[in-house]
Amino acid sequence: MSTEAPTQRYRVDPHARFRVMDDEGIFVLQDAGEVLVVNEVGAFIVEQLKAERSLDEVVTGITERYAVEAERARSDTTALLDDLLRAGAITRS
Amino acid sequence: MSALSIEFAGCRYRFAGLNPEQADLARSRFEALLCRDDARPDVQVDVHYSPNPAGFMRRPVGPVEYRTAVEHSEDSIAVAGIGFRARVDRAPLRAQMQTCLSDEWFLGAFENLFRVVASYRLFGEGALVLHSAAFTDGTRGFLFCGRSGAGKSTLCGLAAELELGILSDELNAVTPSDGSFELRAMPFAGDFGGAPRPHPPYPLTGLLGLSHSAAPLVHGCSKAEGVSRIVASCPYINADPLLVDELTGRAAMLVERVPLRVLSFAKDTRFWRILDHEYRSPHATLSR
Repeated sequence: MSTEAPTQRYRVDPHARFRVMDDEGIFVLQDAGEVLVVNEVGAFIVEQLKAERSLDEVVTGITERYAVEAERARSDTTALLDDLLRAGAITRS
Repeated sequence: MSALSIEFAGCRYRFAGLNPEQADLARSRFEALLCRDDARPDVQVDVHYSPNPAGFMRRPVGPVEYRTAVEHSEDSIAVAGIGFRARVDRAPLRAQMQTCLSDEWFLGAFENLFRVVASYRLFGEGALVLHSAAFTDGTRGFLFCGRSGAGKSTLCGLAAELELGILSDELNAVTPSDGSFELRAMPFAGDFGGAPRPHPPYPLTGLLGLSHSAAPLVHGCSKAEGVSRIVASCPYINADPLLVDELTGRAAMLVERVPLRVLSFAKDTRFWRILDHEYRSPHATLSR
């Protein structure tokens, strides 16, 4: 797992498209012709990234919206962000 | 030089500039879909033969699978494969093909370019072209999307044992029609093989993804998963930055009307009893 700075921001990769559909989210990765699906929480996280929220702000948003401890929210969020970075769905701003 | 015209799924494609060997190869493969060459085509493909292989992707030694290289730009699509390269203009849709092939390898190049051109033409007509297997029982059309290794050819083999009509085990098109969708065969085959032949459109009754299991089962999936499976199965278009948003929107409309299910199946024909039962009534519903 990465140790990202709390102020780190991300954005959807220019070669990817993101769309929310019935609470879940879909990334279309154009270069690879691949598609990723993220669950409701994942879709919420990506929407927060698109709104230029930092990692800390995203974690706060999750704890406010879902019944989850901050520590757990942070570890789950960074794990998802790692996956999305590896897949080329998002990049660091 | 000679020309020939091929028609399927309501579109007419004209290939001009073929030398006699190239024309014979294409005619023999697409014989059942040849049409009169004097009508205005929907898409023209001009073939330019250059026997010098320098500058073209080389033939491999031994059997090999390779992916056709496709690059998108604002006004055209560049395509390259073994022994050929091509430029496909977006509007009006038209292609120029350069090739050093006129033996049996030419047919592979011809089909590889034809797949791209037909996918763009049909997408322009409102269709989705999917990497998929499709068959019919004569009245209902079933489409199973999935990439290589998903089980498309295996399923077609099993369906053929049941004397179901195979459309294609590689590429099929779904076209909107009066508020519903029709399934149309495309004249390209994967491992299951078979020569292209004309097929009527069939109502799209079942839209399914594939997975493997010991016992046959059909289960639902979320709309997002359904859309993702469809978008992932639409070659060329899903990598085209100018069309991917439109593609995703169309896929969402499709699964809204015809929900995508997942068929888990083993290598036997038991899957058909499940499918036949689940889709017997047009009002049948499946638990999600």
